[in-house]
Amino acid sequence: MTNSEAAGEDALGARMRGMVERAIQRGVKGFQYATSGPAKVGLTPKTTLYGRGTLQLYHYAPQSDELYRVPVLMVMATTNKAFVFDLLPGQSMVEFLLKRGFDVFVIDWNPPVPEERGLTLEDYTQDFIPTCIRKVQQETGQSDVSVIGYCMGGVLSLIYGATHADGPLKNLVCLTTPVDFSKMGLTTMWNDPRYFDVDQVADTLGVVPADFVRQMFEMQKPAQRLAGQLRVSEQMWNDEFVRSYRAFERWGDETLPLAGEYMRQTTKELSWGNKLFTGELVVGGRAAKLSNINAPILSVVAEHDHLAPRDATKPLLDLVGSNDKEEILLKGGHVSLIAGPNAIGRMWPRLERWLAVRST
Amino acid sequence: MANDSPRDPAAVFREFVTQWERNINTLANQVMGTESVSRLMQEGQRLQLAMQQATSEAMGRRLAAMNMPTRDDVIRLAEKLADVDRRLARIEASLEGDATVVPDDPPRTGRPRTRQPPAEYLQQEKPR
Repeated sequence: MTNSEAAGEDALGARMRGMVERAIQRGVKGFQYATSGPAKVGLTPKTTLYGRGTLQLYHYAPQSDELYRVPVLMVMATTNKAFVFDLLPGQSMVEFLLKRGFDVFVIDWNPPVPEERGLTLEDYTQDFIPTCIRKVQQETGQSDVSVIGYCMGGVLSLIYGATHADGPLKNLVCLTTPVDFSKMGLTTMWNDPRYFDVDQVADTLGVVPADFVRQMFEMQKPAQRLAGQLRVSEQMWNDEFVRSYRAFERWGDETLPLAGEYMRQTTKELSWGNKLFTGELVVGGRAAKLSNINAPILSVVAEHDHLAPRDATKPLLDLVGSNDKEEILLKGGHVSLIAGPNAIGRMWPRLERWLAVRST
Repeated sequence: MANDSPRDPAAVFREFVTQWERNINTLANQVMGTESVSRLMQEGQRLQLAMQQATSEAMGRRLAAMNMPTRDDVIRLAEKLADVDRRLARIEASLEGDATVVPDDPPRTGRPRTRQPPAEYLQQEKPR
């Protein structure tokens, strides 16, 4: 037997051993996986600074001796829990920003209860966000606040910015935030006013159940859940992979219900009327023209975003009145952009640099 | 030189899953993106909601006959409480509004807000 043949047999043997070890680990860890409780998420230390009904405002404990002057307020989408910003230690946008010297606050949403079925865009943009900004100002002693909005949280932040042009908004970051709702792909098709009776949905359900909202998301990628389960079954030996998968799985499972009036209004004003895009949107008696926004703005969008497609996010910078504006287009999807490997390696460092020079 | 070592079966499986997922999603999007499917989905939903509404009304009539509050009655009570809560929040906000925040207020988090970005950031990022 030649040396190369012997080396080849050794390599094959090592590989076989590795495969057998992984097969055993899959069995053992698969049992642990099946019998363990929900993933532990959102572990970065925080206090609840303010809460009222669906609204929760968290203040995360600073992790740097010296902070940037301007605090950061993150606004979560109304359809999901904000722990996607703080998924796991080492996989947390909040933790990343804290370690780099930012003072971080997060607006999270509790599931709206039946008496909150009447919540509207006005409540979110003229009451909840301004109230939280005031709380952040009081807590930090700073008049300026930077806002980071994710998905519909970005839309709410834009409406807030457009209706408070002289307000304390120092910087605005929109993550995967659609503005042209006529280009929302399948969502636009399913919301077709000829077939979708949003009045019946809002009037009958009051608060639109989480299952309804989750189905709207999952139907856009129907194979995603099963493919994820197949992947995790193969990767069961890989603790890091399983930990991350379970955290994302929990996040997907904890989709939030929506207030019926809010759904009615967003469907009619944003989807059907496309009024944020056309500049005709009026909220709480104030014109929500995006051209009113003068603060520096950063739009971060994902190349393969199926929920906020590229065509829907693209026009944002053309519509705002800011001179200091930038778009970052990154690989990845709607969620991986903010909490996946792409986020850790690409998005967060870019976001940090952009914010840091504008936060002194 | 040709690589004749056998492929890792796990890698083959992962590739298969990725391809399968992509194909199913593409196919499903093509089917569900048609007008007829959209109409069918919404018709189904309309029917389901109509049934739910009818059941709710029938239940309401039974509860009324038994002199018991319906879910809507309980929600109305909760709405009144929520309204009181909102009024309190407005009063609180107006009281807080008197204490205007000025930029030089001392920070409550107790840490200096004097951090400056690294020099290379200033070269890479130029605020306009």
